[in-house]
Amino acid sequence: MWGDSLLIVFISICTAFLGEVEKRKEAHGDSLDKQHKKKIEREEERLKNNNRDLSLVKMKSMFAIGFAFTALLSMFNSIFDGRVVAKLPFHPISWIQGLSHRNLPGDNYTDCSFIFLYILCTMSIRQNIQKLLGFAPSRAASKQGGALFATPPSQFK
Amino acid sequence: MSTKNKTTDVASKGKVTESLWTKAFTSNTEWSDKEEFLDVIYWMRQAIGIVLGLCWGLIPLKGFIGILLFVAVNAGVIYLYVSNYQNVDEEEYGGMWEITKEGFMTAFAGFLVTWIIIYTGLHGSESL
Repeated sequence: MWGDSLLIVFISICTAFLGEVEKRKEAHGDSLDKQHKKKIEREEERLKNNNRDLSLVKMKSMFAIGFAFTALLSMFNSIFDGRVVAKLPFHPISWIQGLSHRNLPGDNYTDCSFIFLYILCTMSIRQNIQKLLGFAPSRAASKQGGALFATPPSQFK
Repeated sequence: MSTKNKTTDVASKGKVTESLWTKAFTSNTEWSDKEEFLDVIYWMRQAIGIVLGLCWGLIPLKGFIGILLFVAVNAGVIYLYVSNYQNVDEEEYGGMWEITKEGFMTAFAGFLVTWIIIYTGLHGSESL
């Protein structure tokens, strides 16, 4: 059982890194685009085309991330289906029980399912990795932009 | 040329982090950069969360009292650090609430993960 829990932590570290690497590619594209803007101010037509291409690429990679995460999640979900991966040291409140006791037999609510531990891991590890790599939106941006700049919880789909 | 730039960049970065460490652990530091101070609080929170998770798992603490204690200790330590150790004017950061909120959810999730994993490893076979 401990092996399972550690495996889930490892999985969530891996997926968090995957997401950040994909984002780094995007960010790189962004900076290139800015340089272009300075250099070819007159060629606005070309810039427009570039922008369109860029947003297309961005959209593609966003779809790729979403798709990959959904596929990964459903794969792990079926691998850990019906398995107790951890023992909770507390009784979860009723509306969390649906998550923490998903697809588990019996009604011992201190048993913890894969999805609950995975979500917790993602919440902590992903944010910290973002912060470490410097991809977290700045405080001012997240305050002003609200939902727009908030990290999309795409992997929970 | 580019490698030279890189090395100086790395060196200056090292200097910055070092001074940030000393800044964080000396009392009454002047924080010119708000973001820096909030970052210090953020990482402090994460560290506290993981350490408390380890402790609660080793003791082992069970039930909601563990969560309540975590929230209390976490908020209390940060509050003492901000108001007594650094003597920061909390209004500059939008009130005490903003500082208390900084990185709380992440720290809470990290705390739960360490608590659950240590508890599972040591006491998983016993029933609650």
